[in-house]
Amino acid sequence: MTAPAPADVPILQTASSLVELTLDTYVRLQRLAFGGGASAPAPVRELLAAAVAALERARTDLAEATRDAGGRVQTDPDPEYAPVVEQALPTVRGPGDAVGLALTLEDVLAQTLVSDVVELSAPPVRTTVAGHAAAAARRKALLLTLQTLLASGRTELVAVPPDLLALPPGAGTVGFPDVLFPTEKASPPTEGTPR
Amino acid sequence: MSPRPQPRPLSRRGFLVGLGALAGAAGLAACSNDAPPGPPAPGVPPSPTTTTSTAPAAYEGEVAWIALGAALSGLAGDLLGQAATGAAQGRFGAVPGVVSAYLSGAAAQHVAHAEAWNRLLAAGGRPAVTGYPLTVEPALRGRLDAARAPIDLLGLAADLTGTVAATVTRIVGEVTDASAVTLAAGVGPVVAMHGATADFLLGRPPTAPTDPVAGALTPDALTV
Repeated sequence: MTAPAPADVPILQTASSLVELTLDTYVRLQRLAFGGGASAPAPVRELLAAAVAALERARTDLAEATRDAGGRVQTDPDPEYAPVVEQALPTVRGPGDAVGLALTLEDVLAQTLVSDVVELSAPPVRTTVAGHAAAAARRKALLLTLQTLLASGRTELVAVPPDLLALPPGAGTVGFPDVLFPTEKASPPTEGTPR
Repeated sequence: MSPRPQPRPLSRRGFLVGLGALAGAAGLAACSNDAPPGPPAPGVPPSPTTTTSTAPAAYEGEVAWIALGAALSGLAGDLLGQAATGAAQGRFGAVPGVVSAYLSGAAAQHVAHAEAWNRLLAAGGRPAVTGYPLTVEPALRGRLDAARAPIDLLGLAADLTGTVAATVTRIVGEVTDASAVTLAAGVGPVVAMHGATADFLLGRPPTAPTDPVAGALTPDALTV
């Protein structure tokens, strides 16, 4: 098995910083009544809870890989997007806003992890990061779908299970807009290195 | 006797040419939230199914993982495409438009992925995978044949995309060629998005697998 190389450290640290920020944002969204509370649509509430659990696993895996590569584990949030979150959170007024903010972060996280898979040197770490990229992509797909349904104003469509006969056909495909997952929004490998 | 031509190393340039075409399709898809074109009209026979493939022993080592990606993406595209066609023909009762759109849209992307895997094989001088030479193919096709309702189609799609996503994630760690890693890295998350959408339509909780390669196929599943 190939161990992670020192050159992988900044890649892993930046990924960790994005995971820290995304995880913290989900936790804060969960505290909102329309995010994780009683008035939240069930799919939104379930997504937030699942995201927190999955991102905690990502944090653990990335920290282990960073240590294996001889680096210092990054526990601070991404410096590029943390101010964006701080500015956006007070403006979150409903589930649509919560979904929109989460989508912004998940897209950057997923694109960064996909880009990292190509750059990382150790195959086992590539596999681990690819798994977390797929998990972020799953959340992005659901967020895209929920965003479309919430924007339609027909909140009854955001239900578990959904009423398949009532859903618009576009809800079946809006969650996977690209044939290949894009990477143009990927954060550069040095963005989240410890300062 | 002339020397047997040796397969070329996987060509990054040739692969990137293929990726360019795929990116074009991605761009088109990203520009529209409309449902993709539907399946053929009722009465149009489905495309013939081929279950055997080309020259034996064409795929060894790392190349076998790429061939596995081609075969599995192709099989997923064919099964979901057949499901969409059957839905349009009334085989599964009244199929909601959202389910038909999902099946057609996911099928088209799986087919595009199979074409990309095959372009990668061709760039390395290997034959493209034709048909669906996989040990799991008869069972999966049998499951489609046994489907009676839209919920069966979504269940098949969720399980199938889970297998494809796990396999492609496994491929990421099994290949060293940069073009192959790049393709696998870009395909896996998209297939995961197919799975998430199927789960949502089924009303399943939005959990991601804790082991991302659980259930992955290996080149042992290839029958060529």
